[in-house]
Amino acid sequence: MMEKLFDEYRGLSDKKIRPNEPKSEQFLKAFKELLDKKNNWAFLLPFKLSLEACTHCGTCAEACPVYIGSGREKIYSPVYRADMLRRIYKKYFTLSGRIFGRLVGAKEITERDVNALAEAAYRCTICRRCALACPFGLDNGLIMREARKILAELGIVPDELKEEGVENQITYGSAPKIPYEALMNILDFVKSEIEENRKNVNIEVPVDKVGAKYLIINNAGDYLSFLDTIRGIVEIMNYVNEDWTFNSQNTGVFDNVNYGLFYSDKDMIRVIRAHLETFKKLKPEYVVVGECGHAYDVLGHLMKDLIPAEERPFKVIHIVELYDKFLREGKLKLDKDKNSAPVTFHDSCKIGRCGGIYDEPRRLIAASCRDFREMYPNREYNYCCGGGGGFALMSKYNFLDFRMKTYGKLKVQQIKDTGASTLITICANCKRQFLDMVSYYNLNTTVSGLSEIIANALVY
Amino acid sequence: MYEYMLLIVGIILPYLTLAVFGIALAYNFFKWMFLPRPVMWAIFPAKENTVSILLTIAKRIFSLPGPRKFDKLIFTLAWMFHIGLIVSLSLHAKYIFLPHLPFEYEMGSIAGLFAAIGSFGFIIRRYYDKRAESYFADYFALVLLIITLLLGTYIRILKLVDPAQLWGWVQGILSLNPVLPPTNTLFLIHLFFAQIYMMYLPFKTLIHPIAIFYGQKVILDKRHIGKE
Ligand code: SF4
Ligand code: SF4
Repeated sequence: MMEKLFDEYRGLSDKKIRPNEPKSEQFLKAFKELLDKKNNWAFLLPFKLSLEACTHCGTCAEACPVYIGSGREKIYSPVYRADMLRRIYKKYFTLSGRIFGRLVGAKEITERDVNALAEAAYRCTICRRCALACPFGLDNGLIMREARKILAELGIVPDELKEEGVENQITYGSAPKIPYEALMNILDFVKSEIEENRKNVNIEVPVDKVGAKYLIINNAGDYLSFLDTIRGIVEIMNYVNEDWTFNSQNTGVFDNVNYGLFYSDKDMIRVIRAHLETFKKLKPEYVVVGECGHAYDVLGHLMKDLIPAEERPFKVIHIVELYDKFLREGKLKLDKDKNSAPVTFHDSCKIGRCGGIYDEPRRLIAASCRDFREMYPNREYNYCCGGGGGFALMSKYNFLDFRMKTYGKLKVQQIKDTGASTLITICANCKRQFLDMVSYYNLNTTVSGLSEIIANALVY
Repeated sequence: MYEYMLLIVGIILPYLTLAVFGIALAYNFFKWMFLPRPVMWAIFPAKENTVSILLTIAKRIFSLPGPRKFDKLIFTLAWMFHIGLIVSLSLHAKYIFLPHLPFEYEMGSIAGLFAAIGSFGFIIRRYYDKRAESYFADYFALVLLIITLLLGTYIRILKLVDPAQLWGWVQGILSLNPVLPPTNTLFLIHLFFAQIYMMYLPFKTLIHPIAIFYGQKVILDKRHIGKE
């Protein structure tokens, strides 16, 4: 049994956190580096603003799914968690904090604080709903992300994100280390299944094709856990008869994830570089991000600011944008009656609130399902499912309980209120969280990607 | 002794206040301006040109969509407080241009009361609110403000100060030919607290109008630094 550091849950092991080892000095050093323009130009402005301008009005708490889901426990309010870092910032990096100390909320760092922060930083999925509520646009989620960056400098990162995530991906081409033969077998299986279901249809699954118009790069977890989504993609791309390809480790990285986003800009850039090397070999016109949210945030948005334009001679789109284009061009003939069960849709934070894709999936669902029911709140106000920020991968110790009893609880109610029997989402991490929810809460809900829903509605 | 107090509160402190307020305000504004432009970190729906970003910020400043949706109490208090304060401050600032306005006492008293009630609501809310910790500095700013507002309102209601005398004092300060302020003791206490508050503002509360601009800009701006 591991000792409690922040609350009754643990997401990281003692081996990672090393609770008895002094770390505060190193923590302050890493913190100082993060406040330097040279080291952190990309996030410094919103980070410092969020540290300095908070009035402690508490408005953001009512937007936070962890706080609400926990039954409004104070330690889960965004401002409480962010204050754990803010108070240290005031003490060591502001004049007023140095002079007036506790009167202005400044606090001297202790080893306990570092240990507690190591866990607290993993009680927020960085869904950014709180930033929408804050009158000043301050971002407590960003503060937690920056806290994770400091902790990563001390070697405190969940194994699921670093060793089993980023390092595997860069070394083996995918985080789950899918061997080449296994990948080919999976794709062969997909091909034969579709051909069996759709008689007289010849299915092609191009892999590592150089110069294809669309390179579709999936969350590798889909090849293992959400094969229906892969099947859907393959069927749709064959149906529209476009020039496309998947890729494998033979051309580099074939997993679209970038877990660096959740804990370190340095590792995020390493993964982006690995992706760029891969795209350079394959020379696609479009990089199409498969059903994944955070991958779209990095490849579709952050990469544009972090990497010069000449190094990325391709466009990046989410696969839902591609399907929507096909739909608008009349290339997809769909029959709603093939999906007659009531469905609902979950706006993934990284695709909706942080990605701006709201209407495309709704158009596609409306065209391929008979009974679509919105969940409330939705779009930019939708609640994070609890799979974001790397959480979908973290189930060790009792962390699954945390995910389920906070975010999960809220989300389950949202789904139940719709009365839908199928939940559609276009992010692999959300799907994982929903699958866990279904078994944890014994729900009668089918979790589905959008690709398989569309594929099922295709009219031949 | 009283002469010295008049000199300090009515002549020396105003210049000090103006200097501290102006410099600290400019510092706060430019310090954010010179930080590098961040990566696109928008929350959608976001905007892609400066005019619509600025218009949306202006709209959000008045409509406070976050508090309106998530916390009606703070939305109501913020409205009372800010409207009261803006009207009240405008009636002070008018001494730069005009000695007197019709109904200024009535408008000023109501505005001052509104702002004071709003601030009082903030204090109570802070005390009972378990979502966020409040520190001494948070209460200090509010207490200072309530004292200033209540004194100001009281002075207005009882018409304790002659506007012509106030006009002369403000004009003297502005033209660098200062004259002594009105001698009413309550007015001098009000003036003293108001100036302490103004010097304190840029380090605490007044970073809001600046923070709201930069913070909202970050979440509203969907343009990328690099070319697409
Ligand atoms: S980012 Fe999301 S989970 Fe984190 S504090 Fe804000 S609302 Fe809560
Ligand atoms: S809403 Fe903004 S100002 Fe208010 S407590 Fe939250 S982060 Fe601070």
